[in-house]
Amino acid sequence: MKKSILLLALAVAVFGACKKQQTSSIMAMDPVDTTAQLMYRGAFANGPYGTTLGVVKIYGQNNVYSLVLDSFTVSSGPDLHVYLSKEVQPLNFIDLGVLRTRSGTQVYNISGMPDFAVFKYALIHCQQFDHLFGSANLQ
Amino acid sequence: MKQLMLLFYGLLLSVSLSAQNKSSLSNKRQLVDIAGTVGSSRGTVAVSYVHNWKIGHQQRWEAGIGARLTSSFGIKQQYTTAPAKLARTNTTPFLIVFAGQATANWDTLTVQRPWANAVNLTANFAYNFNDVWSAGFNIDLIGFAFGRKSAAVLTSNGITRTEPAATVSHFNALLTGDLDYGNLNSEFFIKYRLNHQWAIRGLYQFLFNEYKTANIKQIAPDGTEVDRFRNKANNIGLAVAYQF
Repeated sequence: MKKSILLLALAVAVFGACKKQQTSSIMAMDPVDTTAQLMYRGAFANGPYGTTLGVVKIYGQNNVYSLVLDSFTVSSGPDLHVYLSKEVQPLNFIDLGVLRTRSGTQVYNISGMPDFAVFKYALIHCQQFDHLFGSANLQ
Repeated sequence: MKQLMLLFYGLLLSVSLSAQNKSSLSNKRQLVDIAGTVGSSRGTVAVSYVHNWKIGHQQRWEAGIGARLTSSFGIKQQYTTAPAKLARTNTTPFLIVFAGQATANWDTLTVQRPWANAVNLTANFAYNFNDVWSAGFNIDLIGFAFGRKSAAVLTSNGITRTEPAATVSHFNALLTGDLDYGNLNSEFFIKYRLNHQWAIRGLYQFLFNEYKTANIKQIAPDGTEVDRFRNKANNIGLAVAYQF
């Protein structure tokens, strides 16, 4: 009995920590500056895992950049992150954070001034399992 | 350093042998123990065999050796640069635990789904307050480990890279502080004996886990190749022990 309680407590502690993705379709936070210029854009293509639809846009003004996911939808997955990456399968990347919602327009601030000639892919990537859900070539 | 380590292990051995020489069948204590602990997004299960000898005039003290399998697992655990000469400001054995932390040299490997199983020899110490209550300490000495490969993210100077297959460090050795290698478990505990055979323990666990990068090799300014990263975990838990 005690062993069962112990194992149950361990299971709750470990699996309870697993973050679930939000599934609601909402306009995410941080609206893009309306005076910012569209610098790059790309259309998502599916990765080996999941389905990703939509357009990614990079807006910039005064060396401050934002990434916008527009008309965006991705299939369900654990621990999905938004990356700017040098490669389609991310080895060198900038993590813009956890994907806020699986569908809808959303904006992510980009810290620093990445060279978009080098970080030329926007990715939806499952960090926990190293699975690529979708990629967009920024042009 | 090696001489100090040999001295340390020699002392442990001599305590055990000394106790063994004075022992009779009645003053041995052999038990098996299963312990579970939890921490922040992590947990462990450990199975131990303990062979202690009661020592001292009143035989309140116990010392001995044993073996332990510790299985530790978690989600998104952070491991930092492990080599002692990069992680600490001083690497003198034993004194290293008081040395400053050279955090400027640390990189972080976030192992996404760590699961390490360590089999180690242990040293065990306990003090019996009475027939029911006792307290003690145990620590892993040397052994080996195996476990699951996991994706990881290495963050170094603000640059993030993917390590597709970080692996568990296979060799474990207690060399004190950040000089340690591998996966080592230690526990402070209070034990309550339910009867002559069964007992329960409440324990605080200090756990070292180590993962290695397989694809990313960093070279430190002093030329050290860095592929070992260490996680130090403070966990609490319960255990059940059965005495033979």
